[in-house]
Amino acid sequence: MAGHKDSEHEEFHPKGTIVVLLIFVLTLIILWGSVYVILLSRGVTV
Amino acid sequence: MTTKQSMHIDPYEKNWIRLSIGLLVMFAAAVAVAGFALGIQVPTSEQRVDPKTVAEVGPWANPGLRELSPGKYEAYVLAQTWQFMPREMTVPAGSEITFYITSKDVQHGFKLQDTNLNVQIVPGQVSKLTITIDEPGEYTYICTEYCGLAHAAMFGKLIVE
Amino acid sequence: MLENYELSPGEKKFIGWHLVFGILALSIGSLFGPLQAFEHAGLDLYPYLQPLFKSYYQGLTLHGVLNALVFTTFFITGFLTLTVTYGLTRPLRYPKLNAVGFWMMVVGLVTTAVPLLMDEASVLYTFYPPMQAHWSFYLGLTLVVVGSWVEGWGFYYTYYAWRQENKGVRTPFISFSSLITMVMWQIATLGIAAEILTMLLPWSLGWIDGADPQLARTYFWFTGHPLVYFWLLPAYISWYGMLPKQAGGKLFSDSLARLAFWLFLLLSVPLGFHHQFVDPGVPAGWKFLHAILTYSVFLPSMLTAFTVVASLEYAGRQRGGKGLLGWIRALPWDDPSVTAQLLAAILFVFGGIGGLTNASYNVNLVIHNTAWVPGHFHLTVASAVTMSFMGISYWLIPYLTGKKLWKPKWAVIQSWIWFVGMIIFSNAMHVVGLLGAPRRTPLGLAPYIPEEWNGHLLRVGIGGAIMFVGMYLYVFIVAKTAFAKHAEPATVEIPVAEAMHDPQETPDWLDRWVPWLIGTVALILVAYGPQLIDQIANISLTSPGFKVW
Ligand code: HEM
Ligand SMILES: [Cu+2]
Repeated sequence: MAGHKDSEHEEFHPKGTIVVLLIFVLTLIILWGSVYVILLSRGVTV
Repeated sequence: MTTKQSMHIDPYEKNWIRLSIGLLVMFAAAVAVAGFALGIQVPTSEQRVDPKTVAEVGPWANPGLRELSPGKYEAYVLAQTWQFMPREMTVPAGSEITFYITSKDVQHGFKLQDTNLNVQIVPGQVSKLTITIDEPGEYTYICTEYCGLAHAAMFGKLIVE
Repeated sequence: MLENYELSPGEKKFIGWHLVFGILALSIGSLFGPLQAFEHAGLDLYPYLQPLFKSYYQGLTLHGVLNALVFTTFFITGFLTLTVTYGLTRPLRYPKLNAVGFWMMVVGLVTTAVPLLMDEASVLYTFYPPMQAHWSFYLGLTLVVVGSWVEGWGFYYTYYAWRQENKGVRTPFISFSSLITMVMWQIATLGIAAEILTMLLPWSLGWIDGADPQLARTYFWFTGHPLVYFWLLPAYISWYGMLPKQAGGKLFSDSLARLAFWLFLLLSVPLGFHHQFVDPGVPAGWKFLHAILTYSVFLPSMLTAFTVVASLEYAGRQRGGKGLLGWIRALPWDDPSVTAQLLAAILFVFGGIGGLTNASYNVNLVIHNTAWVPGHFHLTVASAVTMSFMGISYWLIPYLTGKKLWKPKWAVIQSWIWFVGMIIFSNAMHVVGLLGAPRRTPLGLAPYIPEEWNGHLLRVGIGGAIMFVGMYLYVFIVAKTAFAKHAEPATVEIPVAEAMHDPQETPDWLDRWVPWLIGTVALILVAYGPQLIDQIANISLTSPGFKVW
């Protein structure tokens, strides 16, 4: 880490970002998973 | 320039990258399990045919079902503007059907509703997939690629009894 | 660094012409969208378009070509002209070269439009052989692409000149990312260049008897997937490089933003087989490899999600936003340009999730060529990209014309209308696609529609009607602004976000072209080389052309 920046920026922790992105990940898992389940339910194709 | 260079990855962002990679690996694993362990596969390179003669010589000259052994079938399907040959097929429940589908003119699609059979039909190529259907009923197969004016009317029926 | 740099009136006019053609294409192409949506909902208006437009498919071809190919290419080349020159604070090195490129695109557009309007090229924007359009359709598309290349070469000369004058300085982000976008595009379009020049053009002219439809698909999707990144990256340039400033903050990480763009260059091209998962003539192993590569190109988008949201959070907190999520409310939602881009990004979340689903190898069996697919890309190209471009034009058109935006409040409302319409429309399309409804099909004419689709198809129509209002409100607002006689003069500053850390601290390897270009070419050779060689060596030009519309 270079030590000569205004400290104001160093203080910023994007906590809200993490919350937003976790909601996103949850949505992703649910929606992707639901199509995956449809795939599994429609039988085998070889 | 004397500025010190470094990547400056915020610790939060570092964790986010880790999480993203983990997530993608998990999805890839799920897909691989479905594909290679459970046998839900996509078509692969099969064989070539000449679209100009495919309707006259070879198995597509006489499209339809062939029973190989009890409960085991081959289905030769010929797509053309704007119909599938055959338009209707009947098999007993629990049959295993291997589809060989090609086109004598433009591209078409073949989607057997409520199953995972869904392939592109490319002239000169053969789309091959095998499915097993246990549930009796009427399954529609529809054309899913634009193939000209009456594309919307292109469909057929697989009856499982 | 950028203060007081001003584009010349000639440059502004030049960029303005790009927007004129782009938005004109959008406003004609979008006429058909609602007609398609209404058709799905049971209201068939095509009989009333006779004899001007012959069929659903002529309309659908115009919709795809004008919106997805013409609007985007003109808007993007215009916007990149701005980001390259303004970022580098120097004029184009050879403005005449760029002008030649632009007018080539215009000639190409006209050459394409004539057969389209005469119903001689109703082959849809993917023009899969052996359906055969009039040769002028292929020729026109080629001219549009080559014209965009020429404009790109103009950017490279400009960059080279700047580099000579500025040794050791980091390329300003908006120019840097624009150049990558253009390089990626030029590599990507080699696919359709090969398709058209070696196959479709000679075939449609009657010089060769047949086409190889499978090889044509492989060529097409070599270009077709990176094409979507060519649309998306300019929106990312704005989200990374401009939106933070507009929102009152800074770019959270200059180095990760640059890394994301390099990854897009590296990974955008070698994954086109994910559009061909259910093709008969491609080995499954190669499809799986491209699926994995597609997953890896999801990473730079995940990086983007973090950096952009963090930049916005910083902006919201600077504006007094409190708490975990309070900063979202504190963003300037009354600024139409910001609102358009924020809503674009929200819709893109769902577009990205759908995209990952499409890319998931066998999961593609569920949705391939169903209504899910247009449901998906109306969230990406028609929302993330189009709304971002709308948002950009809300400051860009005042900048170029010197006239204040006509009723900014209406422009804010415009974005919300599109957003609401799109949510209804795309959700219905996704759901009815999962139930099995095909795309590219006038479902009102289909004899196989089960009862359970009808409610969703009705929602397609309702969403489409709302989108119609949103689209033409946009066209109205920008036309009112551009052609106003007595508008208030506008003094627009081009929004360029500062980074939290001095870009000079960004490592040198993130500003070096050669290693990344070598990597890009190498990866393409590995992922595509063997299959391309195989398919070309076994080419069978057996398919004559068909005109079946
Ligand atoms: C004005 C609002 C719009 C509505 C209501 C609308 C509606 C539709 C519908 C219903 C389809 C599917 C047709 C079918 O598969 O049979 C479609 C296709 C498409 N739309 Fe839109 N659309 C709109 C705007 C846009 C915009 C702004 C873009 C891109 C910038 C776009 C790009 C496309 C593309 C590329 C296709 C696929 C064409 C094809 O399958 O060949 N649309 N649109
Ligand atoms: Cu068909």
